[in-house]
Amino acid sequence: MGTLMKTPLLALAMLAFTLSPARAADPTGEAMAATCAGCHGTQGRLGTVEFMPLAGLPEAEFVRAMTDFRTGKRLSTLMGHVARGFSDREVRAMARYFASIK
Amino acid sequence: MLNRREFLKAGAGLAFAAATLPVRAAQGGGHVVVVGGGVGGATAAKYLKLANPKLRVTVIEANRTYVRGYGSSEVVTGHVSMDDLNVSYDTLKSRYGIQFVFDTVVGFDPARKQLRTAGRQTLAYDKLIVSPGIRLLYDAIPGYSAAVAETRVPSGWIPGAQTALLAKQLKAMRQGGTFVLVAPPTPYRCPPGPYERAALVTEWMRRHNPTGKVIILDPKDSFITDATMQLGWHRLYGYNMPADYLKDLPASVQVKNSGRPSPIEWVRAKDGGEVEKIDARTLAVTTLQGVEKADVLNIIPPMQAGKLALDMGLTDASGWCPVDRRTFESSVHKDVFVIGDASIADAMPKSGFSANTQAKVTARAVADQLAGRTPGEPVWENTCYALAGSEYGLFVADVFRLKDGKIAQVSGQRYLPLDATPAQIRLAATYQQAWLKTFTEDCFA
Repeated sequence: MGTLMKTPLLALAMLAFTLSPARAADPTGEAMAATCAGCHGTQGRLGTVEFMPLAGLPEAEFVRAMTDFRTGKRLSTLMGHVARGFSDREVRAMARYFASIK
Repeated sequence: MLNRREFLKAGAGLAFAAATLPVRAAQGGGHVVVVGGGVGGATAAKYLKLANPKLRVTVIEANRTYVRGYGSSEVVTGHVSMDDLNVSYDTLKSRYGIQFVFDTVVGFDPARKQLRTAGRQTLAYDKLIVSPGIRLLYDAIPGYSAAVAETRVPSGWIPGAQTALLAKQLKAMRQGGTFVLVAPPTPYRCPPGPYERAALVTEWMRRHNPTGKVIILDPKDSFITDATMQLGWHRLYGYNMPADYLKDLPASVQVKNSGRPSPIEWVRAKDGGEVEKIDARTLAVTTLQGVEKADVLNIIPPMQAGKLALDMGLTDASGWCPVDRRTFESSVHKDVFVIGDASIADAMPKSGFSANTQAKVTARAVADQLAGRTPGEPVWENTCYALAGSEYGLFVADVFRLKDGKIAQVSGQRYLPLDATPAQIRLAATYQQAWLKTFTEDCFA
């Protein structure tokens, strides 16, 4: 897949994104998680089966999935693109939020 | 409907109607009125209640049932019925305690923070969220009008009777006929939508009218998802890809134009695709290039913010609503927020998904402001799945942040990769159908 070849470039881009001194405060985990809800359910709660429900997902699992989507290690439709919009720290904040939802 | 001056006057005279003034629920953190119960308004109302269940939230909406626009081209090809587009407000009422006033706003007094409805109700707000959607400028194309759209040349870009009319016309079209779709100039609602509709009609014709064809007349030279969409057309229908798109394909992607006439054609601005006028009786469309004779003519005209936004004085010279990008508070009126297609949101496409994430950011900001907190850092997203065929999916996906007072895309690549695998393409089509359900739930349930 094309994204795999672009990984070094992306890694660089992500590094710049994460370290950029001009970055404002991160959005809250809840605010970032709300952007997932159109597919993954309000607060990550989902009845249908096509998408992964995120509510109650263990933190490490969420972080690994997002990291693998970002690098292209895990094949996706659009999750690779979406994952590249969030820093490592932000992914961890989202992971904590979803893990806290029962 | 009142003109704008009368409209504001009707609002200014609100003092007389104080009898119906609702009790200000100051004890619960305030009263938020949401005008418009589409994707933006419904999501805002729901997420206000999620942010603070004690807020009093009232939605003013003209229609008792929402008719969803997203996925509505599937009515044209008979994949779903008009009834399948209906979405109930019942869950928003019962689960979240959101109040609905089924009425239209006819007066607005921003100084007193009051609205007046056609049903003579007066509503006072602490914060007002307006999600007015779009207004189609039928008259911008000579020969076209709202009356023509309702009887002869449907637009169907706001779902309703015109959508059903278009479906009926396609079914009744003569064998070997031409379906002409006139695409709109930017900015417009649902950027991949016109091209998805053209693709679904082409697919339908292969089964039901194999000698028929689809022609898209376009005032633009590119569109969102253009390369991936055309690659789908090429693979499914034998579409000949233009040379400038061919040269950008990765070496691993094999495309060989047959040179034979394709059942779907895209006539860009640079090829004379811009429409000058139409003749509604003969369905002749005059472009810079010549005259195209249609058997079914579908026009998606230019558009601007919904009429309500204009009446309330929320638009600028562009016809859209300027807002503070952090909260979407109107640049014109304080404590009034404009979300969804009507707002000026820079890099964000005018889509249901954009409206949905704008509603969440704004709902949180409004709840914060009413509680005396400073709104946090915003983040928005847009995800539009689209179809080149019923089993051929593609998409645009973006994450957006605030940068120097404007909304910027920060996630890089937006589209399905051109070298996507068959599994990714098939899954994207499956997800498009699943998304219609999960998205509706996130907005309305």
